[in-house]
Amino acid sequence: MKTLIAIKEADCNWMRETLPGTQPLLAPLCNKPFVEYLIDFAILAGCREIRLLSDGPLSQIEEYCGNGSRWGIELTYANLHPSDGEPELLRKNRKFCGEERTMILSGCTFIDYDKTLDYRGLASIDSGGTIASCPGGSITLAGPLEPSLTDQPLPPVGLTPIGDLKSYCRIAMTTLETGSSRYVLPGYGGEPGCAIGRNVTISKTAQIHKPASIGNNVRILPGAVIGPSAIIGSNVIIDKGSTIKESIILDNTYIGEQLEIEGRIASKNTLIDPESGVTLAMQDPHLLAGINGGATALVLWRKIVHALAAALLLLLLSIPFAILYPLLRLRGKWQDVPSIPNAGLAESIASAFSLDRYPLLPGVLTGRLAIIGSRTHENRAANHTGTDCRPAVFSYAETEAWAATESDAAIVERYHALHSTPLGDIGMTIQALINRIHYRNPT
Amino acid sequence: MNSVITLTLPGDIRFTRLASQTASNTASLFTDTCNAGAGNWEFSHAFELAVSEAFTNAVNYGDRMQGTRDITITFTIEQRKLTVAIRDANAPFSAETPEPDIETYPERGYGLMLIRTLMDTVTICRENGENVITMTKQL
Amino acid sequence: MTITEKLSSGITIVELCGTIDASTAPELQRHQAISDPTRTIVIDLARLDFLDSSGLGAIIGAAHRKEESGANMLLSCMNQKVRRVFDITGTVRLFHIFDETAAAIDYATTLRKSQ
Repeated sequence: MKTLIAIKEADCNWMRETLPGTQPLLAPLCNKPFVEYLIDFAILAGCREIRLLSDGPLSQIEEYCGNGSRWGIELTYANLHPSDGEPELLRKNRKFCGEERTMILSGCTFIDYDKTLDYRGLASIDSGGTIASCPGGSITLAGPLEPSLTDQPLPPVGLTPIGDLKSYCRIAMTTLETGSSRYVLPGYGGEPGCAIGRNVTISKTAQIHKPASIGNNVRILPGAVIGPSAIIGSNVIIDKGSTIKESIILDNTYIGEQLEIEGRIASKNTLIDPESGVTLAMQDPHLLAGINGGATALVLWRKIVHALAAALLLLLLSIPFAILYPLLRLRGKWQDVPSIPNAGLAESIASAFSLDRYPLLPGVLTGRLAIIGSRTHENRAANHTGTDCRPAVFSYAETEAWAATESDAAIVERYHALHSTPLGDIGMTIQALINRIHYRNPT
Repeated sequence: MNSVITLTLPGDIRFTRLASQTASNTASLFTDTCNAGAGNWEFSHAFELAVSEAFTNAVNYGDRMQGTRDITITFTIEQRKLTVAIRDANAPFSAETPEPDIETYPERGYGLMLIRTLMDTVTICRENGENVITMTKQL
Repeated sequence: MTITEKLSSGITIVELCGTIDASTAPELQRHQAISDPTRTIVIDLARLDFLDSSGLGAIIGAAHRKEESGANMLLSCMNQKVRRVFDITGTVRLFHIFDETAAAIDYATTLRKSQ
């Protein structure tokens, strides 16, 4: 069976006003984009080929979902006309549908599925078209019946329309309460009703009441109370003493100190009341603010600290370098310094002081390199992806003995590139210096 | 590390394809050297399209002034960033082109809209008597 | 760019091949089946490798004129690169787009019958 997921701009006009800039299919429901629930259901129904259709731009979703390999399916994209009904959709995608049974999920609706149940029976039931519908959406089946892959009866499928902010909020809360026993939800949770993403720092004095879902890169400061019924998105900071209850905090939001947020949606610097639809834009950036990617002050501070450390190393190592470099150079052994099997005294000293990295140090003073970051001295730079790559003299990977393979090293580097503080970097540099001795002389 | 590739073409609409194809090839060369995978058609297509649009704009502005001058396209390949600058010595080009009114589906005016969507940064300025449009995209 | 014309079930299919940019768009505009405002046509884009805003403009202009005189222009077999141009510019809403030329022809015949 194949699935067509069709969504029209007109179905989700409400979202454009209250959540501007969000592609309707990517709107988060309990920290998971809406489209993923639809894909999950299609997969539970036994579909391996899914096509997303819209009369609006799809590029954002294409960027997020890609070709579907993440779910082990084949995902394609096409456009529809605002006037299209089911027959037109089938006709326009005739090549995709082929001679197979096709399920059409249309409209901005939430499917109440249960991941533990088997929906593959949809391919073989003769329902004569629509199997579920609600205002603004439906699930329709078309095409020839397929032999049944399951002997279990088809579980009921319910639809709930997402027609305004109120229903959006209610569905998000219901999903949170139902939890991961029914839906595939992101984040780790030691116990039901609580899911926490990656890189989340929670202060000892903060409280979390179930149910709660917390995204990635979140900081919850002392005294903050999260929940019950709180959905915190990614890149969020909840400052000291604030309470978040029955609310949704969308991505990239900062909640200031001593704030009480109950029954609201917070997005950047806007608080929205889902019941009345009233929005309140906060003028004080300390109370509620969007988080921007780059903090320039930190970058400058890091550069200064790194330059100072490099200057110190340059000074300290100048004498051993001045003596050993000409010596080893003359004996033609300079290139071998990092890996000498049966090293003589001079080589051992050179490698203990990491003199092979000495010529790179002036690069830190000019700002071209960092003292510690990602390795540049091995031809590996090309393997790095993303903006978190910081070319440096020493590598974060060198501070941890276990990072032996290339991919391990890359993980360590990336982790520290995101989390390190400038002063912490100095400690890491010293650790790298010590570690490099151990590497070479395993005793 | 940085490589710079410069291409000078006569300001004639017939050379649009040569410009856009060079952009596409340069971008795929760039993605290949960055090990970004051969399947990264989006990246090279973004450059193919953006250069096609920018070159067309440059030529059309020349036409209006009767007699076009050469158009210079410069690609700068950095570690994870590709930059293309298109220069022409024609009459000043106004960057304040209105966004097309999408509701009425006009026939013209989508060029800059495409460029702005496809590229990470776009700057349009007048430099030493030349119109310069600089576009960058990170991998 | 090459333009080939075929007739199937009384519907003209215009197959575009190669690339359409500012240098080839005028040729597209001049093409008889495309510029004739009263003729309903299917444009087969399967072999179109590249389209920029000049080509898009030519297609939109022709579609407008056909629509005014009650005819239609249907598109079929758009590849990813071409679809991206329509997608970004938001002009997908103007067209009926099919993933198979035969389906587009069927649709064009039903349109003609209903008129």
